Amino acid sequence: MKRSKSLKLFLMGATALTLVACDEPQEVAIFETTEQCASQVGFDKDACESNFKTAQVEHIRVAPKYASAADCEVDFGAAQCEVAPQTTSNGGSVFMPMMMGYMMGSMISNSARGGSAGGSSMKSQPLYRSADDRKSFRTGDNHKVSGKTGVTKVASNVARAPSTKTSTIRRGGFGAAAAKTAGRSRSYGG
Amino acid sequence: MKRIEIAERDDWRAQAEALGFNFHTMHGDPYWDETACYRFTLRQIEDDIEDPSAVIESMCFDVVSRAVEDSEVMAKLAIPESFWDYIRGSWLSADKNLYGRLDFSYDGNGPAKLLEYNADTPTSLYESSAFQWLWLEHALEREIIPPGCDQFNSIHEQMVQAFRNFEIEGRLHLASCEGSAEDEGTVRYIEECAVQAGLETTFLHMENIGIDTNGHFTDGEDMGIRNLFKLYPWEWMMADDFGKSVPQSGVTFIEPAWRAILSNKGLLPLLWEMFEGHPNLLPAYFADDPRATDLEGGYVRKPLLSREGANVEMFRPGVGPGDASLSVEGPYGAEGFVVQALHPLPVFDGNHTVIGSWLVASQPCGIGIREDNSPITKDSSRFLPHVIFD
Repeated sequence: MKRSKSLKLFLMGATALTLVACDEPQEVAIFETTEQCASQVGFDKDACESNFKTAQVEHIRVAPKYASAADCEVDFGAAQCEVAPQTTSNGGSVFMPMMMGYMMGSMISNSARGGSAGGSSMKSQPLYRSADDRKSFRTGDNHKVSGKTGVTKVASNVARAPSTKTSTIRRGGFGAAAAKTAGRSRSYGG
Repeated sequence: MKRIEIAERDDWRAQAEALGFNFHTMHGDPYWDETACYRFTLRQIEDDIEDPSAVIESMCFDVVSRAVEDSEVMAKLAIPESFWDYIRGSWLSADKNLYGRLDFSYDGNGPAKLLEYNADTPTSLYESSAFQWLWLEHALEREIIPPGCDQFNSIHEQMVQAFRNFEIEGRLHLASCEGSAEDEGTVRYIEECAVQAGLETTFLHMENIGIDTNGHFTDGEDMGIRNLFKLYPWEWMMADDFGKSVPQSGVTFIEPAWRAILSNKGLLPLLWEMFEGHPNLLPAYFADDPRATDLEGGYVRKPLLSREGANVEMFRPGVGPGDASLSVEGPYGAEGFVVQALHPLPVFDGNHTVIGSWLVASQPCGIGIREDNSPITKDSSRFLPHVIFD
């Protein structure tokens, strides 16, 4: 047979709903410190530390970035922000919230290996608390995970490495070339 | 290869609309047309389309390998010099390509002749992959076509598999320009394939992409873009204001930048120069090449960068270039032209028929057929389904 054996078609454009509906929750562990992690039954101190280090590195990459400390504090609260190592293109400071905890793969459902994220394919990531919801941990891309430390379940899309929140300074830099050729063609592709 | 008139399904428009295929009719004219279908033998499909497509893809890779190391070639393709290193890097680091469409002139006999390669922003994917497939299933069920008919079309399966193999980290953004239902429909379908491969996706318009202080691209929610499928040609990306930020943006683009070499009509003379005489190639030259005047029997002049037949002109012996049916107006051509030996499209019942051969992740996996009333396939062409039946 030279054709696809089956073909699933959802309504185009309604696809995001489909994904969420059949997303399997994933077991993760949330801690504020490595000591808290190491004292959790079944968790190994070395893996706790290596996952914490990974989250710290990720923190610099994925923490929401702001061009002013005031903008950052609006979202994360007074004295909850720090200067990011990045600078703006003209040398200005960049601000980001402080890391309040980290989320790693659970070692209970996965065999623990130091260095890897608790044996699962999950990369550990930093967590934050926003000003309007102090009780909950949130990922860098603002998915609410849990209010408590310890082992919990989150949607697998939340467990993935986050994309990063940033400050857009300008839009509309793409599309000018298309506009020049508009008016006759029904498609810009071909 | 035969054109066979058949009954159309009485409910296909409702089907199309229910599935989001809302560009089946354009400006009042049919685009999807199932009042006829094309019938191929398995041998025609495998020996004359599928295998040559794979061979041409590998020849194209040889062209890219050469072009990225040769500044003279990059200049001939009118690619801005500030992007040469970036394009070279995208090729050397083997940035993955998703899909492309080779357009062939083929009438069922003799070798299919390559007219051009839509390697960057091909459309008519959804019609080929999904709606044509559905048509076959329904047409079999309703006995519009005989039992045992097959179709060269595993495009959908290959698309989903390709996205699984991409190893995309984080969210995939997908973008088309505002104001084109056809482009947006194509991208929505590609998004659907990505979702079926387990990816998280966000659709946005090219015009709405932003930039942050670090030169990273952002979406409408200020989220950083790490992976971007764009139905927007590379030459426009490079020309636009944000273009200069592309090389440092850290974004994985689909298609990758090296595809700009293949979607350029300059590919045709480069292929001919490196593989002269190959049965699936037509003689082709850059317009300023003295050999360009040697093309007896007529030739077609194409801008390096052009879509939907725009600014293509056909020159036939004994027919003046003033014949309006042999040229298509458009906004392209400033960057230069190529000439290609004339190999007119075959005519079936008065229709000029072109075969689009789809490659997904460089694997040939299906065809889509378009007909036009004129010898140059334009954006007024119609899409017709096909069957394989020996």
